[in-house]
Amino acid sequence: MVILVGLPVRAASTSRGFRQLLDAVVRIDVREVGFEAGARRYSASIGSGVILSADGVVLTNAHVASPRAVDINITLANLERVGAKLVGWDHWTDLAVLRVDLAEVKRRGLTFAHAGFGDSAKLSPGQEVFAVGTPHGLTRTVTRGIISNNNRYFQDTRGVNGYETGAFNTWLQTDAAINPGNSGGPLVTGDGKVIGISSRGYLGANNLGFAIPSATAKVVLERLLRDGKIVRSYVGLVPGALQDLENFYSLALNTGVLINSVDPGSPAAKAGLRGGDIVLAIDGVKVDGRFPEQLPPIQNRIASQPVGAALKFTVKRGADTRDYSVVTEMLESRVGEEWALEKWGLSARKVSRAYARENQLEDATGVVVIGVQPGFPADVAGLSRGDIIRKINQLPVTSLDVIKGAQAAYEANPEPTLLEAQRNRRVSLYILKP
Amino acid sequence: MRPSLCRNRRAGDRAGSRPIPSTVGRLLPLALGLLSAAPVARAAELPALWAERVKCVVAVEYVTETEIERRPTVSMGTVIDSDGTIILPSGAVDPRAATWQLKDFKVYLPGDANSTPGQYLGQDAFTGWHFVRAEETVRARLTPVTAFVGQNAPRVPALADFVWGIGLRNKDEDFTPYIMQSHLALIQSLPQRTGIAQQEVAAPGLPVFARDGALVGLAASAFGQSYLQFSRNIRGAPVLLINVEESSAFILAEEMLPHLGRIPKNVSGRPLAWLGAYGLEPMDRDVAKFLNLSTQSGAVVSEVLEGSPAEKAGLKARDIILALDGKPLPQLKPDRAVVTYVEREIDGRAPGETLALTVLRGTDRIELKAVFGEEPKLIREAGRKYFERLGFTAREFVYGDAVERRVKTAEPSGVIAHFVKPNSPVAVAGLRQEDWIREIDGVEAKTFAGAVAKLAEIERDETRPEFVLLVSRGGETAVLRVKLK
Repeated sequence: MVILVGLPVRAASTSRGFRQLLDAVVRIDVREVGFEAGARRYSASIGSGVILSADGVVLTNAHVASPRAVDINITLANLERVGAKLVGWDHWTDLAVLRVDLAEVKRRGLTFAHAGFGDSAKLSPGQEVFAVGTPHGLTRTVTRGIISNNNRYFQDTRGVNGYETGAFNTWLQTDAAINPGNSGGPLVTGDGKVIGISSRGYLGANNLGFAIPSATAKVVLERLLRDGKIVRSYVGLVPGALQDLENFYSLALNTGVLINSVDPGSPAAKAGLRGGDIVLAIDGVKVDGRFPEQLPPIQNRIASQPVGAALKFTVKRGADTRDYSVVTEMLESRVGEEWALEKWGLSARKVSRAYARENQLEDATGVVVIGVQPGFPADVAGLSRGDIIRKINQLPVTSLDVIKGAQAAYEANPEPTLLEAQRNRRVSLYILKP
Repeated sequence: MRPSLCRNRRAGDRAGSRPIPSTVGRLLPLALGLLSAAPVARAAELPALWAERVKCVVAVEYVTETEIERRPTVSMGTVIDSDGTIILPSGAVDPRAATWQLKDFKVYLPGDANSTPGQYLGQDAFTGWHFVRAEETVRARLTPVTAFVGQNAPRVPALADFVWGIGLRNKDEDFTPYIMQSHLALIQSLPQRTGIAQQEVAAPGLPVFARDGALVGLAASAFGQSYLQFSRNIRGAPVLLINVEESSAFILAEEMLPHLGRIPKNVSGRPLAWLGAYGLEPMDRDVAKFLNLSTQSGAVVSEVLEGSPAEKAGLKARDIILALDGKPLPQLKPDRAVVTYVEREIDGRAPGETLALTVLRGTDRIELKAVFGEEPKLIREAGRKYFERLGFTAREFVYGDAVERRVKTAEPSGVIAHFVKPNSPVAVAGLRQEDWIREIDGVEAKTFAGAVAKLAEIERDETRPEFVLLVSRGGETAVLRVKLK
């Protein structure tokens, strides 16, 4: 019998960095408010996170902790529980930053460790990684796997609780088991360096998990800590991969990015760009969007410009090539601010510019009905989910405050209130009755 | 590209137009009392009455020829005159089908396995009826339904009156006729005066009679009925069931008889009156009360179509129509019926006629005068060309397409993918039905003829490995690369 002895690889569990990482991983309990039911409703969920500084900065997913959170509690590695506050979130990269209540930590004499970032750009497929988190509430579970793909393209217009995600980054794919509750926990190398934030997986598949690479997370963390939010530029281009179309457009390989579509009314549309155009360069720097995986960095380049900047797009249309100047706008989500008008049993979401464009509305006036409570005035009047309330008592609903004000007036003096709402393109009138 | 579905509403199309006018319904209690006192037919005589009246109903079968299939349709019809003219309900023909696709009309007499050819005459926009003419050889065996009207004004049945009608079994049973009987439960204005019987009383499109055999109405499509469904897995789930073969609702004879003469002058059904007020929406009584419309109703105009007679008359989106030619819109039940009321007022007119509109704009009452135009080319009238090898039908871009896609109608360009053959080269490339093709091989498809020429050239060229389409779907565009080899 021959005993095979491998090379003396040091197991992850014995590395000092890994042990410290374990002490930096936290469970996050979030109670958040939802407005969909025509009333405020609270729900609770569990996620994971990782402490990244001695002053208690925690990185997690945007779909774990969002501005809807009313109560955030963190369970430290030593099982002690402490409160935390949201510093900022960014659904585009599915990241959120929390800060542990340091006063409480000090008062109670609690301690915690913190982890550091590794370089996700240096990862290669096959490399061993570990996911640490709270799958199904099982605190500080470590699972092991490899990097299955280090440059996965995945974009979803409703991926983070209805918000857009994935346009500006690619993802790490791993076969380390990632289950519900792992969200926000770190994906680490054997030495305990955080190279990704576990975020999502295919349900019903075997170990197809995805994480936001640390290269993206580092930048987002820094800016959320500095500004509390991330402002991006928007021009309204939907890019497409050029693969296989180079001949048709008479292009050299690895040249240019295809404009699949231009949002109506967007800066790009105003500048005269249209679907089927090829962008060869932005501000003189060549772009290459041959494969889908190359699109997020290009989108990110545009997004990283200051809002209001004039960008020079060098565009090929047919045989002609010319420059277009596009002035960027601030990027907005399709999902606007939400509120529940409980007296009326009506949940409303502000129509955002992006929503108006997507739905070919005249402008961003109005609120979308996202829920009605049976038996309440909005339901009795006949309003239903998806209706867009454009006017209330003849007043254009330019903000949530307009409709909040109308409800306050109704509360003080309950009188029939006239609403003008639109369903698809059909305009109807409704009366809210006391 | 994020795939999103194309919407389906065809603004310019007449799919929704419903039959029949609104003559004023008069109740004649005295006359009815006399009639029921007279020694009219008894139940025992029904078989004889039935045998006579079976001669005024037929089954009509036709084929819709599409790119890849021949789809047979059977509908029930009523004979209306001695020329063998038959009316079929509005739903008998798919509104998207071009009239040249409707082929091989056959007329079957009840209980007879043999058919004779029929001729399709077109659809009347106002009543919604499709007209078919039976061939001469068979006319002697038909009796027009008007033979059962009698001398006086059309009979209005009274509440609880016995009513009966005819149903026809399926084709495999030679359309064998059978009798259905019921009692009148309710008369509603929808806005046509419609009798609702307790049970099914006739096949949709076939006549309804009183006990003595007098015509009292024409069966409409059935209303849905709510049921609870119980099964091993489901506990009382509500389901809506619609009987497509038999109906308990019928428009009264007074709503039907005055319009039997509306036989289309040509198969296209033109001329068609056009106003261009899009998306009429009813209001409920609370809204009417709020707007101080005490006993009448109104209809909100959602949009005014570009270049339409309504636009020229000065109608604006969100105006509320209060009256037509000085006649206030009635309050009907359900509220929705007021929309049909307005649509029928429009569909009953001809291009060139004038309509006075009273509208409420904000708090002002405004009087407008609109002159009806001719309805722009409908989708069913648009040019089409099927490309077998490429695997799709290109359809001319018409007014309704522009309305649906919210683009300027003045400069229509491109063609619509009217049909996409499954697994064909264009289907594999991702083309879908109703996609709007803007460019073919990098060349803008400006006109239908130009696009067809370009596609025909590609179709002919068997050496060509691929071509590229720029298509637009739901406001987004995509470049599709179609591999031909």
